[in-house]
Amino acid sequence: MKYKTASRLRLLLIAIVSIIYIFPFFWMVSNSFMSDKNIFAVPPRFIGDLLFTDAMFINYKNVFTQFNFGLYTFNSIWVFSLAAIGQLVVCSLAGFALSMMRFRGKNLIFSLLVITLMIPVQVTIIPEYFLFLKLNWLDTYLPLIVPSFLSGAFGTFLLKEFFSQVPRALFDAAIIDGVNAYQMFFRIYLPQSSSPMATLFIIAFMNNWNDLLRPMLYISSRKLYTVTVALSQFQGQYEVRWNLLLAGSVLSVLPLIIVFAFSQRYIIESTMSSGIKG
Amino acid sequence: MRHTPYRWHKPLTPWVFVLPTVVGLLAFKLLPIVSALYFSFTEWSLLGSPLFIKLANYRELVSSEVFVRIVRNTVQFSFVYVIGSMVFGLALAVLINVQTRGIAFFRAAIYLPVVTSAVAVGIVWNWMLGPTYGVINNLIEAMGMTPPYWLADMKLALNTVATVQVWKMSGYYMIIFLAGLQNINADVLDSARVDGANAIQSFFRITVPMMASTLFFVLTITIIDSFKNFELIYAMTKGGPQNASNTLVYDVYLNAFVYYRIGYASAIAYVLFIIVALMTIFNFYVRKHLVEGLD
Repeated sequence: MKYKTASRLRLLLIAIVSIIYIFPFFWMVSNSFMSDKNIFAVPPRFIGDLLFTDAMFINYKNVFTQFNFGLYTFNSIWVFSLAAIGQLVVCSLAGFALSMMRFRGKNLIFSLLVITLMIPVQVTIIPEYFLFLKLNWLDTYLPLIVPSFLSGAFGTFLLKEFFSQVPRALFDAAIIDGVNAYQMFFRIYLPQSSSPMATLFIIAFMNNWNDLLRPMLYISSRKLYTVTVALSQFQGQYEVRWNLLLAGSVLSVLPLIIVFAFSQRYIIESTMSSGIKG
Repeated sequence: MRHTPYRWHKPLTPWVFVLPTVVGLLAFKLLPIVSALYFSFTEWSLLGSPLFIKLANYRELVSSEVFVRIVRNTVQFSFVYVIGSMVFGLALAVLINVQTRGIAFFRAAIYLPVVTSAVAVGIVWNWMLGPTYGVINNLIEAMGMTPPYWLADMKLALNTVATVQVWKMSGYYMIIFLAGLQNINADVLDSARVDGANAIQSFFRITVPMMASTLFFVLTITIIDSFKNFELIYAMTKGGPQNASNTLVYDVYLNAFVYYRIGYASAIAYVLFIIVALMTIFNFYVRKHLVEGLD
């Protein structure tokens, strides 16, 4: 038995704590349904005055029409899906080699991956920016996509761990059948790994979606903005139009909340087993 | 089932599998770390070629009052973040480590800010903490007290941002602590209760010692994560007022991409790198000599 039964006091405490975590999200949503006048009411109103009126979605409509949020959402979805696919490719390959193969330099590669998790991106961002400047990749999506096809520490650890737990009998049987390394990877191990691959896809997608620094530095054309950059620019320009800003925030968070609602078990389990986020 | 890999493949095959990773490590990690060191000895605005000025950037850093303040801010931010995340993460994990209907919902609710962007988190907290219209200050006024300027007060801004970051990330550490708690043998806790230990005694005498390696692991990652505060600072204060909430990672961005002082920014990045490297070495050392003996 792993759990104790909960006392009433504990349940009350859990409820209070959860309010602290949920309230800002509630506030974001309720204030995004307020008119310009109502949002500055003192004391603050808790329920949006536009709810269930004809103008209920006016703030959201404005965010879409005046600020093109649909385009930025579309940009983010396809660019970061592609980047997440890159992570699946590179991390599954490296994770397989690190868990199932024996070669010199394996420990060195592993240690370097661990170290890269520790170094803040600001340490390497200046030379990285210079590299993309020289490659003439600025203001394209290449700096947001190509590095994802080249290495990913978190995903490599996740898949290395998974591959090393696939039953040995499967490996032995395949060896007796005389498969080579590529067949072993593509035919035996990859088909087994749909669940960690899906988890990695979602985590990589979420991390990229939320990233601000790289897309902010590399993308300058408005039409290429990602959602998070757009929201941040929006914040700079419309500092006083809080209802629009909060509607934009809701729109930037909503896709992730939907994905998270369906996958939270896997995301939380992967945190439990690996304890590292990308 | 684990097993030590043997060489069942051709000698060069592993390198085909790790080739992209090796290229990525070289191009985006090792090469940048080396070139950042070179840049830190130069004066450069990204246009033209870098002018080699030896240690002048570092000399300027050491004598700059702003930089000393920024290093102090960075340490303070880390301190608040590490203590806050460890205390809240563990408290939340202990609180939520029960089997009851709907517990998955609460767990997910506390985890929700982890998957939310720092920009959205910054916007909504800015709005809630605002001086005249913010809900929090209105609440404090309603209770008859004078609310502070959370983000405009030189003394408060940094701690406010660090606290919001703790709010954002504590669900993440909660999950890691929860995994550690569930590894504790329930029989040990049961027999302690039979022997008459109360909840506080069994928490400090059994749970905490048996969680030593988890505690150390979370300490390690909270220290590393405590430097990753660029996004929230950008969204909430932009380092202000007057550098009161400016930290090393934010100052790298500011000098490199706002002032275009590439050499000077690289020197700041290198100070950051050395601090992180020292922390990491210290962690490895402690793990080797202290924590392994406890498991």
